[in-house]
Amino acid sequence: MIFTAPWVLAALAGLPLLWWLLRVTPPAPRTETFPALRLLLGLRTTEETSARTPWWLLALRLAAAGLVIIALARPVVDAGSALPGDGPVLLVIDNGWASAPGWQKRVQAAGNVLDRAERAGRRAAVLATATDESGGAPSVSAPMPVPDLRARLAALRPQPWPVDRTAATAAMLAWHQPGTSTIYFGDGLAGGGFPAFADALSASGSVTQICCDATPIRALLPPTTEADSLVARLAQIPVSVATQVAVLAQSGDGRTLARATIAVPAGAATGSAAIVLPSELRNTLTRLVLEGPASAGTVVLLDERWRRRPVGLLAGDVASADAPFAGALFYLNRALSPYGEVRTGDLTTLLGRDLAVLILADRPVPEGAERDTLSKWVEKGGLLIRFAGPRTAASEAPEALLPVRLLGGDRQLGGALSWSEPAGLAPFAPGSPFAGLTVPDEVKVSRQVLAEPGAGLPEHTWAALTDGTPLVTQAPVGSGRVVLFHVTANAEWSNLPLSGLFVDMLRRLNALSAGVATQADATVLAPAETLDGYGVLSPPPRAATGLASNAFASTPVSSTHPPGLYGPENGRQALNLGSGLGDLVAAPPVAGARLEALTEAKGEKPVGPALVTIAVLLLLADLVISMALRGLLRARVAAMVALLLFASQANALEPVANPALATRLGYIVTGDERVDGIAKAGLAGLSDFVNRRTSATLAQPDAIEPGVTDLSFYPLLYWPIVADAPALTPVQTAALNDYMSRGGIILVDTRDSGSGAGFAPGTENAFRRIAQGLTVPALAPLSTDHVLSRSFYLLNDFPGRFTGDPVWAQRDQDRSNDSVSPVIVGGNDWAAAWAVDAAGHNPYAVIPGGQRQRAMAYRFGLNLVMYALTGNYKGDQVHVPAILQRLGQ
Amino acid sequence: MAGWSNALADPAIRRAEALASRLPPLLVAAERVAATVAQGVHGRRRVGQGDSFWQFRRFVAGDPVNRVDWRQSAKSGQSAPHGWFVRETEWEAAQTVCLWRDASPSMHWRRGGSVDKYERASLLTLALAALLLRGGERILSMMPGARPIAGRFGLERFAADLASGTDDLDLASGTDDAGLPPDMPIPRHATAVLIGDFLSPLTDIQATVGRLAATPVRGYLLQVLDPAEAALPYQGRVRFCGLENDGETLIPRVESIRDDYARALQAQQAGLSAICAAAGFGFGVHLTDRSPEAALLSLYTALGPV
Repeated sequence: MIFTAPWVLAALAGLPLLWWLLRVTPPAPRTETFPALRLLLGLRTTEETSARTPWWLLALRLAAAGLVIIALARPVVDAGSALPGDGPVLLVIDNGWASAPGWQKRVQAAGNVLDRAERAGRRAAVLATATDESGGAPSVSAPMPVPDLRARLAALRPQPWPVDRTAATAAMLAWHQPGTSTIYFGDGLAGGGFPAFADALSASGSVTQICCDATPIRALLPPTTEADSLVARLAQIPVSVATQVAVLAQSGDGRTLARATIAVPAGAATGSAAIVLPSELRNTLTRLVLEGPASAGTVVLLDERWRRRPVGLLAGDVASADAPFAGALFYLNRALSPYGEVRTGDLTTLLGRDLAVLILADRPVPEGAERDTLSKWVEKGGLLIRFAGPRTAASEAPEALLPVRLLGGDRQLGGALSWSEPAGLAPFAPGSPFAGLTVPDEVKVSRQVLAEPGAGLPEHTWAALTDGTPLVTQAPVGSGRVVLFHVTANAEWSNLPLSGLFVDMLRRLNALSAGVATQADATVLAPAETLDGYGVLSPPPRAATGLASNAFASTPVSSTHPPGLYGPENGRQALNLGSGLGDLVAAPPVAGARLEALTEAKGEKPVGPALVTIAVLLLLADLVISMALRGLLRARVAAMVALLLFASQANALEPVANPALATRLGYIVTGDERVDGIAKAGLAGLSDFVNRRTSATLAQPDAIEPGVTDLSFYPLLYWPIVADAPALTPVQTAALNDYMSRGGIILVDTRDSGSGAGFAPGTENAFRRIAQGLTVPALAPLSTDHVLSRSFYLLNDFPGRFTGDPVWAQRDQDRSNDSVSPVIVGGNDWAAAWAVDAAGHNPYAVIPGGQRQRAMAYRFGLNLVMYALTGNYKGDQVHVPAILQRLGQ
Repeated sequence: MAGWSNALADPAIRRAEALASRLPPLLVAAERVAATVAQGVHGRRRVGQGDSFWQFRRFVAGDPVNRVDWRQSAKSGQSAPHGWFVRETEWEAAQTVCLWRDASPSMHWRRGGSVDKYERASLLTLALAALLLRGGERILSMMPGARPIAGRFGLERFAADLASGTDDLDLASGTDDAGLPPDMPIPRHATAVLIGDFLSPLTDIQATVGRLAATPVRGYLLQVLDPAEAALPYQGRVRFCGLENDGETLIPRVESIRDDYARALQAQQAGLSAICAAAGFGFGVHLTDRSPEAALLSLYTALGPV
C-alpha cells in the first residue's frame, strides 16, 4: 500500500490534542422542567462516570478522525512497482484472434501500467500488432499523456484475424525513443516472423512481457462429415496435461442442439469428437462453438456444404412413376420429402442444378452423353443411388455406373413354382452406414438381381439377405459414390419400401452425401456477415472485400477477408479462421524480457473512499450512542425508524390467527407442495387485489383440510385438483356437502383446459372420481347473463392462467340456495394467474398471454369474491330492468 | 393568564357540571356544623329556623297568633288560650365547605398526562362545588376576601372567585407562592377540601393543616400529580429546572436514580398521610392520566355521610 499524498499523514500528530479535547467535554445534557425538583435535589447518582466521555466512545471518535486523515492521504493498495526507464512507456498489445479470451485481463493490466506511468508523469504510446478494421497496418502511436492514451486503449478490440508480425516488426524498428519502457502483452502464438519481432522488441529498451492465459489457446477447425455424424476438430497449443473441452452445435436461432466433448491428450495438438445428430437436425446447424471464452477461432460457421442435400428422383417408367402404391417413385417421394428437398424431372434438368443425391429407380443409363454427364457428376462427389427392377434385370449390355457386376436376369424367392421362401434381411455389418438400425422380421425380399460373385463383393456390400446375397452394394467413383439396391423401389419385389427401415436407410444414405457445394468458380462473393473478435456475427468491417468462390479453401483470414459468411442469401459460403490455420505453436519468451503472468495483474485500488465510508459509519454510530447517553433515543423512536426502514417489506395482508376474527379465503390442501404453494400465493394475490379495489378486507388465506378445519368461517374455497388426488373420506364428503348446502362456494380448478390443455393431465378424471360423493347440482356453462359476470366488473369471459374453455356453474333455473351456485368448475388455473411472489411479481405467465388476460383473471377473482360475499344481491339488480318494465305497465 | 377567568369560566363550568351530574347531590357529613346562621339541611337539635318539625309547646302570651297550630290545639280539647299549641321547628343550618385549589406555577405543568395538573384540580374543585351547591351546602373559596356562596346558581360566582384567586396570584407573582392555602379566617367546624400537588416541605404543610385543625376544621387533602412526577420517565443526562424558583439539578443518568426518586415520593406521601391522619383529615392521591370521576367519587365518599 502506498500513499499518494503522504504529507497529510502529519495531521495524525494532532490526534492526542483531539483526545484531550474530547475527554474534557462531557456530552451536553438535555434541559427539562420538573415540578417535583425538591425531591430530586437530595438524590445522588451512583454512576458518576458518564459525566466524562467513556473511553470507548473516545476511541471510536479518534478512530473515525484517524480514518479520515488516512483517507485524505489517498492510500492505494496493490500498486505495482515503478516502471524501469525514464522515457515514454510503450504498450505493445497483440490483438489478434488469440487474444480475445483474456482481453479484459489484458486491458486491465494495461490500465495498471498506465496508472503507474501516470503517477510517474511519463508519456505513453501504444502499438496494436493486428491490422485494424480499416486495413491499416500496425503502427506505433505518438507518445501522448496517459489520459489521452486511455481513450485509445479503450477503443482497442481483439480482431478476428491473426496479428501481423512483419508490419509490427517494421513499426518497432521505426521507434526510437531513449529510456523507453516496453510492456508487451503477447497472445502466446509463434509464427509469422515472431523471432524478428522479438528481436525488435528487445532492441527497443527494457521489455516487460505480460503473458499469457492459463487456458491454452484453442481453435476449432472445419468439421468433416461422416455418414451419421459431423466430426468436430480442435487445434490447440500442446499442454502437458490432458484437457477436455466441449463443442456446441448450434442452430441459426442460437439454440444448442448437441454438445460433444473433445478430449485432447497431454502433449497433443489436435483432438476431435463426433457430433451425432439426426440429419434433419444436422441440416439446421449453422455453427459449431467451443464452450468457454469466445474468440473468432472458437467458432466455425457451417455453410450450405454441410446442409443442403437436394435429392433428384428419376424413374425408368416416367409415366407411371407417381402412381399411388405402385409407382416406382411413390415410396421414395414419401420417404424423402419430409427430410429434404426432393426434385423430379429428366436427367438433364436434374443435373443442371446442384444435386447431392440422385436416385434412379430401375432406369438403365444407356451409353452416350447422358452417361458421361452422370459419370462426371458422380466423380465430382455426387451420390448415385440406383434401384434394380425388371428393366435393369433385362438389360443385356454390362451396365456402367453400377457398384458390382450383375448376373443377367433376376432371382425369384418363393412363389407358386418355387421351393424357396422369401428371404429376410441379415443384420447390418458394423462397417456399413446402416449399422445400428434394427432389422424388422417382416421385411422379406421375394425377387432381386444378383451380383456376380467375387472376392471383392463383401467389401462392396452394405446390406445382405440372410442367405448372404447382397441387397445393397456400393462402390466409390471418383470422389462420389454409387449405391445399388438390388430390389425395386416399390413393393413389387420386396416389402422393404413398406417398412420404416426403408426411410431410415435412405436418410443414412442421404446424410452420407457430400452436400452441395455452391458453384466453385471465380464468382466474387461479397462479405455478408463477418465474425468480430469474440466470434459474434456482425456487419463486415470497411476493409472487407469480396472473395472468389473457388478461393475459399486457399485464402487465409485477414482484415481484407475476415472470417464470416460471404455471398447471397441463398448461397452463403463460409470462410473460417480454422481452415487456414496450421498447427498452433507457443511463442518463446522474448529474450531479456522481465516476465509477468497475466493472471496475477491486479487492479490498483484506491482505498480512500472506503475509509471515509467507514469513518462516516463510525460517526453515525457515535451520534446514536451520544443520543442514547443523553437520553434522546427513545425505544419508540428507534422502533419507528426501524419500521420506516423495513416498512417496504411489510406484508399488506394482516395475519390474523383466529379465522373468526377476519374474513378470508381458503384453499383445500392437495398434498402436492407445488400446487398448494401456487394456491396460497394465488389467493394471497387475489386477497390483496380485493383489498385494494374494494371495501372488503380479506386476511391471509388459510389452508383447509375438509373434515378437520371448521369450514363455517370461509365464504369461498379454492380447490385445485391434482391427478393423483386420493378419494374423499366420508367425513370429508359430509363436511364439503354441508359447506355447500349452507351457502359456501367451492371453486374447483382442474388446471387443464383451453389454452393450457395438457398442463395437468388426468385432473378431470381425478375430479370425476373424487366428486362421486359430492352433491354437485346440475351445471351449465357460465354465460354473460350470470351474476358472476357482473357482480363487480362486467366480464365477457372468465380466464385464469389459461383461457378458452367454458366455466361451469349451477344452472340458472335452479332456485335452491337463492340461486347462488355452490360450486364453480373450470380448468383455467386461476391461482397461478393470481399468484404474486415475494418481490411482487407474477411468477406464472398467462397463456396465450398479455396484461389484459392477467387483469381479466384478477377481475374474475374479484367478481367471485363479491359473489361469495353478497350472494345473489347483484342478481336482483340484474332483474331491475324487467321490474321497471313491469311497473311501467 | 389575565384572561383566564373569561376563557375558563363557561367551558370549565360546563365540564364540571357534566362531571358532577353523574353523582347525587352531596350532603356533607357534619358532626358539628359550622357556626353560621345560614339556613341549610343540617339540624342543630335546637329550636330555630328550619323546615323540620321539632316540638309543640303551649301558647304563651306574646306568641304571634299565626304560629298557633290550630289542628293540634283543636285535638287538645281545652279552652283557649290554655289549650293552644304553637308549632316549633328545628334549627337547620347549612355546612360550610371551604375549597382551595393550588394555583402555583408548579401546577401548570404536564408531561405524561393529557391535561395539566392545574386544569384537573380546577375541574375537580368546580365539580365538587357543583355537587355541594346541589346538596344545599355553602361553599367558600379559600381566598382572602371571598364570601360564602349558597344556592343552586352560585357556581358561576364560585368559578369567578377561583379565577380571581388566579389573578391575584398573577399580581403577586413576584412573591414565592408556597403552594399552600392562605392564612384566612374560616368558620369553625367547617369542612376544608385542599387540592394541589403538595410538593412543598412537609413542615410547611403540617403548619397549614395544623392551623386548620385548630380552628377546628375537618377536611380532605387531595394530591394531584402528573404521571411523569410519579414515574420519572426520563433517560440519560438531564438538567432539571424547577418551576418555582427552586433552582436546578443535573442528573447524569436519570435511570439510575429512578428508584431513589420513587422512594422520596413515597416518603412525601407517607408524611402527608400522617399529617392528615393526625389532624383528622382525609388524604388521597390522583394522577392526571386517570379519570377525574374516580377522584371525584373518592372525594364524595370521604365527605359525604357514611
